[in-house]
Amino acid sequence: MMPHTSIYCFLACYVVAFGLELTRFRGKSTVSRLFSLGFTGAGLLAHTWYLLNRSYETSLPPLLSSTHDWMLVAAWLVVLIYLVLAVLQNEMAIGVFVLPVVLVLVASTYGLNHAPNNEIYAMQARRSWGLLHAGLLVFGVVAAAGGLLSAIMYLLQHRRLKTRHAQPGGFQMPSLPRLAQANRWAFLLSFVLLTLGYASGLMLTIAAPDEEASVSLMEPVVLISGGVWTLMAGVVGWLLVHRGPVGRQVAWLTIVGLGCLLLTLFGLQLATGNIHSGSRSAAHAVQPEVRR
Amino acid sequence: MNLQVVYCNYQSAEISVREKLGFAKDRLPEAYAALRSAFPRAEWVVLSTCNRVEVYTAQEDPAQLPSHHELAQFFSDFHQVPVHEFFDDLLERTGPDVVRHLFQVAASLDSMVLGEPQIVAQVKEAYSLAQQHSGSGPLTNALFQRALGVAKRVRTETGLAEGRVSIASVAVGDFGRKIFDRFDDKKILVIGAGEMAIEAVRYLKDVGGRQIWVCNRTQERAESLAREWGGEVRPFERLDDWLSQADVIVSTTGADPCLVPVSRFKQARAKAKYKPVFVLDLGVPRDFEPAIRDLDDNVFLYCIDDLEAICEQNRRSRQREVDKALTIVDQEVDKLMGELYHRATGPIVKRLRDQWRDVVDQEKKRLFQRLPHLEKDRSEIERSIEQMVNKLLHPPLEALRDEAREGTPHGLLDALRRLFRLQE
Repeated sequence: MMPHTSIYCFLACYVVAFGLELTRFRGKSTVSRLFSLGFTGAGLLAHTWYLLNRSYETSLPPLLSSTHDWMLVAAWLVVLIYLVLAVLQNEMAIGVFVLPVVLVLVASTYGLNHAPNNEIYAMQARRSWGLLHAGLLVFGVVAAAGGLLSAIMYLLQHRRLKTRHAQPGGFQMPSLPRLAQANRWAFLLSFVLLTLGYASGLMLTIAAPDEEASVSLMEPVVLISGGVWTLMAGVVGWLLVHRGPVGRQVAWLTIVGLGCLLLTLFGLQLATGNIHSGSRSAAHAVQPEVRR
Repeated sequence: MNLQVVYCNYQSAEISVREKLGFAKDRLPEAYAALRSAFPRAEWVVLSTCNRVEVYTAQEDPAQLPSHHELAQFFSDFHQVPVHEFFDDLLERTGPDVVRHLFQVAASLDSMVLGEPQIVAQVKEAYSLAQQHSGSGPLTNALFQRALGVAKRVRTETGLAEGRVSIASVAVGDFGRKIFDRFDDKKILVIGAGEMAIEAVRYLKDVGGRQIWVCNRTQERAESLAREWGGEVRPFERLDDWLSQADVIVSTTGADPCLVPVSRFKQARAKAKYKPVFVLDLGVPRDFEPAIRDLDDNVFLYCIDDLEAICEQNRRSRQREVDKALTIVDQEVDKLMGELYHRATGPIVKRLRDQWRDVVDQEKKRLFQRLPHLEKDRSEIERSIEQMVNKLLHPPLEALRDEAREGTPHGLLDALRRLFRLQE
């Protein structure tokens, strides 16, 4: 039996780290910076432990077991990437932007169903395909969040430069070219990953044997995601055509595209309690004994 | 123990005087040799920058310390300048004031630009050169090592070094480096040849700027600046072409009417395909019409007033940190002086202990020779005597330590020497 860690543990760590990051507005403080990194690191450890526990209890990888766990994996990835960036670029106030996303992701899991997804236990043969589908989607969503944040930072930096305001001592943001580059790559990467993620989901549905539970292509999450994907494809087309210095328009477009995507995905999950809510009554779902 | 500094700086002396008294790096070995031969028992550190010339002296025996006049004479002999030309500009501090002065200098509290970072490196270099030329010794080592520590503490615990305070550094550091990631591939157009342009180009070169185009109405001046910066001269008549090609524009002509109205720059923007351009208008009156900044998203125009407002804001916030920095300096001065004074009592304390130890050894030897049956309790007896000696020595040594917090306790040290007949 592994010792338990609750969501409160790492949520509290991230809240404290975010509070410390906000002190950047008052000026540079190495001590506050180190404490912020320390709390984020401690939170990440507790977060990892929690996910390992969940995986042990459900006998499933966290990406597959439930939407609750899937969201926590997304938050975990965001924190991990943030920590690496924060160590490499310790002058930049990245935490002020990233940590609220983490807090929203972790806090929103309170509204989600903890119970493992029954149909996953049933689809023994296709579980690796399911893992690929969930993995591509989670990486795509994390890249989308990165694109969204870099677009917001770009607009703030652009506004500061245009209005000729000094930047507060501790609140440094990357340069416009760097933010534009991050924004463009994050958007393209999220588009590719989400496209592959949706494609693997479709394959999974089409290839499902009759006796196994499967997701209906007419589910709201599938239909709305398809619509958002089309919007993203339009933005990608525009990006590929306009290669010139149009950073501000790109930032606004990505905010619209990725914002729609994230709102749709998370909104639907929060509203329905699970990502594929329509298939929960699968007749042949067989759930093994869950370890407690 | 005694400390002394004889110095002149930008507050006390004109630059013409500082130039005459400054020590060029290649003449420092000669200066240390001259100081050593004139005052062989003293320790020395010479700090010479464009804003200050300071000679620090330390000496265990105050009587051996050179006087203010003697050091003025040394400056005069070394630089071949009559004493009366600079004597009134040459200041002197002694004792704890020397420590406070050096700590303030190293922490950039005494700099022309408050909080500027170069002075720490200059103090470090001066100390290192003193070590190389055998000028420094135990006292100056303690003093300068602590000064560098204080500078670090002030830098990390206060906001004294935060925010840029010169127009060119704000322009390049706060804005230019956020508009462009790199400058080595950017075309820098300099229009006019004012002082501000020279400073701005220096900063742009520091961040990697390489392609510099000088465009000036006077060809000779343009050529001279281009030579100085390693740039190229561009004919003033074709300014429109250069405006459309440049990524960074620094302008200081102050022409009236303004050199670049909106209509002129609009054409240049169309030719430039609206690529980002960073314009520094340092002319008074302005060279670029202010409405240019609204032409498109990629025009970043800054005039001298915008930049000066930020410099002033940064200066004020640095000023607010001065009290915090001075408190740190005072704490560190007290700490170092306490340690130095305490160190000055060390030799007397050691002699006193040695003398008592000799007496104890003699008495123990005599006792065990006369009463050999005590041998079995030897260790107990020895411990008892040891404790007795320590208890008897404790009050005078404690009094000495207390007295040393305020300064070298010459009176008490003398009393101890006389009472216990301690030999030098």
